[in-house]
Amino acid sequence: MSAVATASRERRRRRSEDDGPGHASGIAVAALASAFGVALLQGTGLIAAAVGADPVTGSSGTVAVLLRLTGLVFVVIAVYASAVVTTNTFAVVVAGRVRMIALRRLLGATAAAERRAVAREGLLVGAVGAAIGLVAGTAAVAALFGAGRALGALDGTAWSPADPIALVPAVGVLLTTWLAARIGSRRVLAVTPMQALGGAEEASEEETRASRVRSMIALVLVVLGAGLLAVGIGIGSTDASGLLIAFAGGVVSFNGIVLGAHLVIPRTLRLVGRLTGSSPTARLAAENAVRHPVRSTRSTVGLLVSVTLVTTFGVAIRTFGDMITAASGADPLYYAGVDAALNLVTAVFSVLIGFSAVIAGAGLVHSLSLGVLQRTRELGLLRALGFTVQGLRRMVLAESGQLVMTAVVLGLLLGTVYGWAGAHAMLGASPGMPGLLFIGVPWVLVAVVVAGGLLLTAVASVAPSRRATRVSPVQALGAD
Amino acid sequence: MTTALPIGPVAGPAQDGGPVVAAAAVAKQYGSGDGVVHALRGVDLTVRRGEFVAIMGPSGSGKSTLMHLLAGLDGPTSGSILLGGRQIAGLGDAQLTALRRDRIGFVFQAFNLVPTLDVLGNVLLPFELRGRGPSRDERAFIDRLLDELGLTDRLHHRPRELSGGQQQRVAIARALAGRPDLVVADEPTGNLDSRTGREVLRLLAGASSRHGRAVVMVTHDPVAASHADRVVLLADGRIVAEHGRMTAEAVATAMLGLEDGR
Ligand SMILES: Nc1ncnc2c1ncn2[C@@H]1O[C@H](COP(=O)(O)OP(=O)(O)OP(=O)(O)O)[C@@H](O)[C@H]1O
Ligand SMILES: [Mg+2]
Repeated sequence: MSAVATASRERRRRRSEDDGPGHASGIAVAALASAFGVALLQGTGLIAAAVGADPVTGSSGTVAVLLRLTGLVFVVIAVYASAVVTTNTFAVVVAGRVRMIALRRLLGATAAAERRAVAREGLLVGAVGAAIGLVAGTAAVAALFGAGRALGALDGTAWSPADPIALVPAVGVLLTTWLAARIGSRRVLAVTPMQALGGAEEASEEETRASRVRSMIALVLVVLGAGLLAVGIGIGSTDASGLLIAFAGGVVSFNGIVLGAHLVIPRTLRLVGRLTGSSPTARLAAENAVRHPVRSTRSTVGLLVSVTLVTTFGVAIRTFGDMITAASGADPLYYAGVDAALNLVTAVFSVLIGFSAVIAGAGLVHSLSLGVLQRTRELGLLRALGFTVQGLRRMVLAESGQLVMTAVVLGLLLGTVYGWAGAHAMLGASPGMPGLLFIGVPWVLVAVVVAGGLLLTAVASVAPSRRATRVSPVQALGAD
Repeated sequence: MTTALPIGPVAGPAQDGGPVVAAAAVAKQYGSGDGVVHALRGVDLTVRRGEFVAIMGPSGSGKSTLMHLLAGLDGPTSGSILLGGRQIAGLGDAQLTALRRDRIGFVFQAFNLVPTLDVLGNVLLPFELRGRGPSRDERAFIDRLLDELGLTDRLHHRPRELSGGQQQRVAIARALAGRPDLVVADEPTGNLDSRTGREVLRLLAGASSRHGRAVVMVTHDPVAASHADRVVLLADGRIVAEHGRMTAEAVATAMLGLEDGR
């Protein structure tokens, strides 16, 4: 390729990057979460209708209610994951625009107005994403319904896509995206007009330092949640209602962990980073991953949430199943038939929760890309000093791997604890159950999670690493 | 902050060495068709061992472009560039990368250090990129260099904890640590006050006169150019004048003449 072509391509590329990363991934995340939620609720509606039409099972109305409730739980999970990711996405968008915002501030715009503008974009992103999701999710279930009827499987089932409950996830996504944009845009307030004048130093994303209060609240939540979990398990050994208390304990403590993630994740990142070796590539990658602790934490938390949940359900169900198997020697009739259902539930739940990992993955790509974008000059410098293109590629890959593996390791640990607690809180009371230390580890699921992590590492680094290798060493020189 | 004049072991006879880099009929165009920009239109320039050359000229005259080509950061559209006797025009990216790593030191106007590495990490980076740490001999040389640059008690500071002048000294230490054949500097004093700038210039001059490096510096500052052994004036992509050592006043007059002539 001629140098001329390269140069003109370079110019064009630079122009397109001046505005920083856009809203594509914000919309993608909102649409994914919304589509997932809508499809799930529409789907459970369809299943409930099908079950209701069955003369044997239909006698019990509780099945429909239970299904809907379970569905809602997953919707909340997905919306929560998308909110975490979107907050980061917007922080990233703002960081990419610092110079632009600074220039507008210099010309007289107020900080509050600038922030409102970003929040408005959030509302728009949320609206577009939610709408896409609403249509896509409903269409998917309608297609399923159509296929079912064509096969004659759903005869006598009356189902209509005009189900008001399907609006819940869409509206939820709209509101949380807006809220996430507001939270993520806090950084706008810190942009000073001076930043439009300053040198091209990397847009210093002055991380809002996590307050003591926040750490305290996180600690209190974790302790409180752990206490509730213990109580739930305790009650669970005499009465099945312990599950509710344990569930509350799980929710409370996990929120504590997410809130206090800024204390745990950077440390884990550092640790994982040390494992990747001491070559300059690995060391630079390790440093980059902890360069913006808040950003890294946020982009990791989304994934942490999904890995923890998948593991929680996997371990809970496996422990549950193993306990039943152990106990069925004592009372086989009581537990007959449960096993098949459990396997199905495991598979379905894993896929349902695993979906939030896709959402988290989109956020990861976004923040890795921004990291590369903000380091354009530094990457140019490394190239000038003799870093090879492969070296840069390896660096981005190592960075991606560090973030993903941190989430995977922490998530597997947490999920194992929660899953174990859940199973014992649910079943401990039943006759013939093995002791409290009993735990079933779903090794297949663990292997799938780790493999998924490796896959995500590679996939998430494709776009940012392409961007990094396009940086020319000339970009490190001059003021430009 | 006082820094002794450089530096360390005198690397052999410094004056009138052989050519380190020789550019002949070098042209560089950006873009094509109507939008083509002729950044360089046939430049001949040879820089010898131990020589400190300043490149001056109006904005847009092609100074940075010329420097990028001499340092293997980019390839010329036509013409030949010999670095250490080896043709580098037309080399691929991987070969140019290895060449820069092994033979060239860089000093930039800004953004010259890796922010996540401390001073020592930055200085040793070129060695690590070569895939090996410095030898005992090289390490001793680096220690002396850091000492003479007044950086010994700053080894574990990050760049943002240093003043601009200190950062630039770290960059110079990094550029010299690998004992490259050629050191290139693009407006190295552009962001510094005049006293700190003078210090940086003395360091660069010392790198050529006492270490035998070939040093090429792009600058807008007549005072900076007055530290060089040779001043090359560029206008509109061509070399329009070459002078030996000049006073700052003479440089300023020559520059004014150039700008009037446009
Ligand atoms: N990547 C590029 N694409 C297109 N044109 C370029 C590119 N880089 C430089 N030019 C053009 O080439 C010419 C010479 O540029 P160069 O940067 O070498 O000038 P300079 O002498 O260093 O100027 P200054 O003193 O302002 O730094 C200018 O007209 C510039 O616009
Ligand atoms: Mg220039």
